[in-house]
Amino acid sequence: MNDQDIRNAVRESYGKVATQQGGSCCGPESLQASPCCGGPTPDTASKAIGYTDEQLASLPDGADLGLGCGNPTAMASLKEGEVVLDLGSGAGIDCFLAAAAVGKTGRVIGVDMTPAMLERARENASKGGYDNVEFRMGEIEHLPVADNTVDAIISNCVINLSPDKRQVFSEAYRVLRPGGRVMLSDIVLLKELPEGIKGSVEAYVGCVAGAETKEDYLANLTSAGFTDVKIVSEVSAAGIYDNATEQIVADLGITAEQVREVSSSIISIKVQAIKSK
Amino acid sequence: MKKEIMGILACPVCKGELSLDVVDEDDQEIVTGSLYCAKCSQDYPIRDTIPNLLPPDMRN
Repeated sequence: MNDQDIRNAVRESYGKVATQQGGSCCGPESLQASPCCGGPTPDTASKAIGYTDEQLASLPDGADLGLGCGNPTAMASLKEGEVVLDLGSGAGIDCFLAAAAVGKTGRVIGVDMTPAMLERARENASKGGYDNVEFRMGEIEHLPVADNTVDAIISNCVINLSPDKRQVFSEAYRVLRPGGRVMLSDIVLLKELPEGIKGSVEAYVGCVAGAETKEDYLANLTSAGFTDVKIVSEVSAAGIYDNATEQIVADLGITAEQVREVSSSIISIKVQAIKSK
Repeated sequence: MKKEIMGILACPVCKGELSLDVVDEDDQEIVTGSLYCAKCSQDYPIRDTIPNLLPPDMRN
């Protein structure tokens, strides 16, 4: 798979999710048990990753597709009047939660490359009457945002899907104001995946094959210029991923032991980093 | 999109300023129009209130 193939696969897969009514999950059915794909319903999935009943109840119907790894900590850090950028905003869940946190004097911009997701986000914004949220079609590797204009960048289980994560972090650094911060929730690996899985499109769109090792992820943030890079929380995705990986590897001829090894090396992390003043 | 967002927007390729051409707007926002980057000689369409700011080679 080259970078363009990956982008196309991701757009196609998440475009399909966006058009499903009720949108129970992302990607192929085999991946429906993954953290990026929630569980039986979007609501259950989102509660499991840390959103409160109150937060979920405040959202317009259809804003939560149950696709994120969850980022409640990021929401808690937002202040009145801040400018927030959401990388890979999907149907808008985090943008709407952020909009409530930054208030009328703040602004939230969601960037997504999937037209059907943007359409859904726009409908949700209008249903919810949010006038401090805007969406635009764009690529997180080429942000259509001016330098030094954003206070906080949030992103929820998206950067692992990018074929060029270094470029994503370097763009994030560019658009942040000095003193600004990234608060990311993402999937990373404790060790490299077997080659067969790395090359699988299904594993890629399910947030497994595109994920980097934790070490590389943090090193990429530092090399983009960020300081105070720290992991706020870290949860093993083993168990959650067992069903998904089993089905992926069934086609790849990998042993059950290898399946367990793969799923135990997948973790969900929340990371913060600062652009120094 | 709303006009007040123009200060935050930039061309996804050169990161330069964009100029706005409004075709249709309602009382809240621009519904149809385009954003133009003079440096890249590139138009970015606004449809159904959402600007398409994907790099030109990514549009297909």
